[in-house]
Amino acid sequence: MNWILNFIAKKPNSINVISSIVAIIMGLIFGLILMFIVNPGNALLGFWTILSGPFASTRDMGFMIFYSTPIILTGLSVAFAFRTGLFNIGATGQLTVGAFFGLYVGVHWTFLGPFHWLVAILAAAVGGGIWGGITGALKAYRNVNEVVSSIMLNYVSMYMVNLLILNTIYGGRSEALRPASTARLPVLFLDNIFPRSPINIGIFIALIVAAILHIILNYTTFGYELKSVGLSRDAAKYAGIKEKRSIVMSFLIAGAIAGIAGGVMYLVGDRTFRINEQLLEQGFTGIAIALLGLSSPIGVVLAGIFYGSILRGGDAAQRIFREEIIDIIIAVIIYFSALSLFTKQVISGYVRKKTKKDVDFAQKEGDVG
Amino acid sequence: MKAGVYMDHAVEMLNITKEFPGIKANDQVNLQLKKGEIHALLGENGAGKTTLMSILFGIYKADEGEIKVNGETVTIRNPNDANKLGIGMVHQHFKLVDRFTVLENIILGYEDTKNRVLVYEDAREKVKKLSEQYNLKVDPDAMVSDISVGHQQRVEILKMLYRDAEILILDEPTASLTPQEIDELMDILKKLAKEGKSILFISHKLKEIREIANRCTILRRGAYIDTVDVSKTTNEKLAEMMVGRKVDFSLPKEKAKPKDTVLSVKDFTVHDPVSKKEVVSNISFETKRGEILVIAGIEGNGQSELVYGITGLYGHSSGSLALNDEDITNEDIRSRSLKGISHIPEDRQKHGLVLEFPLEYNLILQSYHQEPFQRRGFLQFDVIRDHAERLIDRFDIRSGSGALSIARSMSGGNQQKAILGREIDRESDLLIAVQPTRGLDVGAIEFIHRELVNHRDNDKSVLIISYDLDEVFNLADRILVMYEGEKVGEFDPKEVSREELGLYMSGSKRSDSA
Amino acid sequence: MTAFINDLGFIFSYAIPVMIALMLVSLGGLFSERSGVINIALDGIMIMGGFIGALLVLYVGRPLGLPTQAMVLLALVGGAVVGTIFSAAHAFAAIHMNSNQIISATALNMFAPALAVFTARTVGGTERINIVDRYRLDIPLLADIPVLGTLFFERAFLSTFIGIAILIIVTFVFYKTRLGLRLRSVGENPQASESLGIDVYRMRYIGVMTSGFLAGLGGATYLISFDNRFNGDFLGLGFLALAILISGQWKPIRLFIFALIFAMLRVLANLHDSFEMLAAVDLPGQFYRLLPYLFTLIILAFFSKESQAPKALGQAYDQEKR
Repeated sequence: MNWILNFIAKKPNSINVISSIVAIIMGLIFGLILMFIVNPGNALLGFWTILSGPFASTRDMGFMIFYSTPIILTGLSVAFAFRTGLFNIGATGQLTVGAFFGLYVGVHWTFLGPFHWLVAILAAAVGGGIWGGITGALKAYRNVNEVVSSIMLNYVSMYMVNLLILNTIYGGRSEALRPASTARLPVLFLDNIFPRSPINIGIFIALIVAAILHIILNYTTFGYELKSVGLSRDAAKYAGIKEKRSIVMSFLIAGAIAGIAGGVMYLVGDRTFRINEQLLEQGFTGIAIALLGLSSPIGVVLAGIFYGSILRGGDAAQRIFREEIIDIIIAVIIYFSALSLFTKQVISGYVRKKTKKDVDFAQKEGDVG
Repeated sequence: MKAGVYMDHAVEMLNITKEFPGIKANDQVNLQLKKGEIHALLGENGAGKTTLMSILFGIYKADEGEIKVNGETVTIRNPNDANKLGIGMVHQHFKLVDRFTVLENIILGYEDTKNRVLVYEDAREKVKKLSEQYNLKVDPDAMVSDISVGHQQRVEILKMLYRDAEILILDEPTASLTPQEIDELMDILKKLAKEGKSILFISHKLKEIREIANRCTILRRGAYIDTVDVSKTTNEKLAEMMVGRKVDFSLPKEKAKPKDTVLSVKDFTVHDPVSKKEVVSNISFETKRGEILVIAGIEGNGQSELVYGITGLYGHSSGSLALNDEDITNEDIRSRSLKGISHIPEDRQKHGLVLEFPLEYNLILQSYHQEPFQRRGFLQFDVIRDHAERLIDRFDIRSGSGALSIARSMSGGNQQKAILGREIDRESDLLIAVQPTRGLDVGAIEFIHRELVNHRDNDKSVLIISYDLDEVFNLADRILVMYEGEKVGEFDPKEVSREELGLYMSGSKRSDSA
Repeated sequence: MTAFINDLGFIFSYAIPVMIALMLVSLGGLFSERSGVINIALDGIMIMGGFIGALLVLYVGRPLGLPTQAMVLLALVGGAVVGTIFSAAHAFAAIHMNSNQIISATALNMFAPALAVFTARTVGGTERINIVDRYRLDIPLLADIPVLGTLFFERAFLSTFIGIAILIIVTFVFYKTRLGLRLRSVGENPQASESLGIDVYRMRYIGVMTSGFLAGLGGATYLISFDNRFNGDFLGLGFLALAILISGQWKPIRLFIFALIFAMLRVLANLHDSFEMLAAVDLPGQFYRLLPYLFTLIILAFFSKESQAPKALGQAYDQEKR
């Protein structure tokens, strides 16, 4: 135990990673307890199934990656916003609008031939970006709280997209038309590695976006500006940075990424867009992933894959348990992430007592909460 | 000790010592307030006056010393205790709820209720009586946000009287009042004393002290200097006690050779964006290449706002600014900065640094968008690192992990050196530094002063705002005094004494030419 | 004319319950925010309240064979109590831990429906909980008043009257009692309040837990009176309530008016084809559903600039910094 404490004292930033791990472990334990309550005989088996299910076969791994992809993207969207000091709870709306733009192009612009899918993805980005931009503009120029406005926009987007689908790409039976085959994301060689799974190059798109964000945030002057506005509006102003413009740009980008998530989700053969009465949950899960991944692109990718693996494990465990358990586990993980500040304080208090050192938990740049 | 002697004193603070990390705010300070007396507490910034009063009012607890009220030793742990002892305080920044009415503010925390419902009749009566007794005109149903500052202050005073306070503390009460309101306040205070209240008030304005105070205690840099009878002490003596006679270490510097004008400020007026009050009034002056101009004065007389106006952080209401003969009145912050203004801000943690950024990022805060720190939008890390190392070396900036240290983890002194280094290195024609050595140790102070002089000798113009007369005299080639938003005097440091300057700073004197 | 009154009565009978639910949650937000604490978790709390209310009816009320209105009361009280408990968690995080209020509230919002659905499925076998619409009642005597009787007292809900009573009580407490005065002062200027001997922490706890009580009550109300099938979420009504709070500039009576407007819009979404006038225009159902949210957005765009928010809203109160 002591070496852990000394390790923490020497490397204060490790607190953040440890809190994330603690959060995940607590979530899993809680899930296990719930399983015991509901079905004690099968609890351990169920738990093990959830953990090992995704790795049982290449097919399972393929599913795992397929599930992770949209979440990685929404997670990136939220994480990027966090890094610039903003809360993007509107990822779901941006995703929905993006999905529509992508589907519209996917259904109607068949003249594009082999690049159809690419243009469709770009269209999705544009849709999401515009939607995010609305939130950004409202905040920057009208001082509207971005949480409330983006939640309103979430619902507006849902109904608006429903309407648009009914009028432009309706396929009957409460579903939109499927995208043309040229608009579907290519699979390339991936089904050789992960046979009989719905995997496609979406994961590559997600990884590329993660890489781009990583570059922007850490290597460009643009990223420098966005981060400073997020970390200290006053210092940014002093430095001559135009904060309002930055806020809008941040939301434009975050929205575009969430839009791409929408595109990635629906420009496939196996999923159709249903006329919804409920908000798509991927946007909200993205928040959890962003927090768990400590708002860093790499962390988000890892957290997203973790989420995908839990989902696939949940599939496997469905023979034994209900899917809401998975939801609960995830929800608990989120709650503990939110209290990560609390956990950090508890841990630092404990460390301080044990090692009698005053550890400075200077928060890593952009860590919100 | 005769019991009779003690009964004369409403309050006695004996040997009060209070330390904060790195600074001794009160060092064995004594204060005795007689019943029915108006007692002034005089001192410059950092003298320890507010700290002392905060201890009396229960906001802080003294490390050493004893407090007696009406002859009995007491412990005051919080404002409630103070209230119970009959002590009330009006702070410099009023503690009023803007959205409540005057009456609601007065009774808050002390309300009458009947069957759980608030009743105001008795309160209204009492307020009316107090109002008439002490000439404190208020409108009980007016909303605090709508009334004048003078009116608000009367509300604060009534708050104390409503709770039957006998000992009243006022902290810089005339700071935001118009001359008329000041006169009214003076009358009110005199009346209160006549009716038997004992009053302590903190001020740096000799005129007012002279007008109403019986006695005055002077503090300087945390130490107790003396307690005098105001009527028997000249302004000169008071000013001397406030600022001290000794000229400390003097920095060896060559005589300035001022050249052409760099910054030209004409009829510049600034209003506070929140209170809308005029805080800088029609100021005009010039700064010259090869010269250090220091604006002296007590904090709160418009200096901060003047700098915000010049750098662009605040808008201004009228007047013009020119830099090297080019009009910059309507330029934005970055444009002014690029045209040749460097700014070491007053609040280093708020404006000067992004605390969560590493040191090397902070060192390019003003120039990250320029080559060679970026090329085609990409940060050039090696250039940034070299630049940071160079500044760390030259300015002796110390930190846990060198260029990678997170700014928040650095000490105040080193944070300041970092900002200073960054701004000096930009070699701007005009360097503005506000309170550049606030809170720093002697070694750091000397270092920074030397750098500022060097900058001047490199043919640049330096404008400094300082509330510390030692620093003013050490650095200045020319001194300008600000009082209540106006320029009240301009001096050659060799031809003016500290005491004289003190008189200008406290409003007792002003030049006709100002 | 009678037909018109009947039609209007019809709308009202649906709109008023929604309005009451919205208003209750919004009043909850009022209490919390006026004391200085943002409570975005209202949506989650509302869901928990509704859900528990439904559970109580199904598994306690029915088996016990309670009379209808008693079951209504059971649901309402249960919802309120649950809401209070849940909000305590948020209060603790926000007030004592100084954690980011928005994040911890969002977590609560995600946690609540997940827990609700899970328990529903476990206990009831399905996530949809059906409570048949048997809760309306006609108030004797009052229902016979011409016009007004039809509008307000036929087919009414008990919860409606409780809701109005609460509105009156809240307004009264807020403006006429010592507690209300102190609560408001804490949200405007906690330093001033502290200097006058008011316990800021205690006030804020009261504020947040009351908001939980009201939000839970609101959720149960909604379930009983409007949407008898519990699906896992209330379509963002909790957030709509927050928007109402902002539009109403944090004042109880204005809140009431905006709640009414939104409720009408919301109800139109479901009932528009029952009205000849609107059916003639033939706007799609989705459009009506969109309307309340769009309308809110526009109002927000206008009202947020010169916001009359409590001055200390969202700022963690640090006793050190006096």
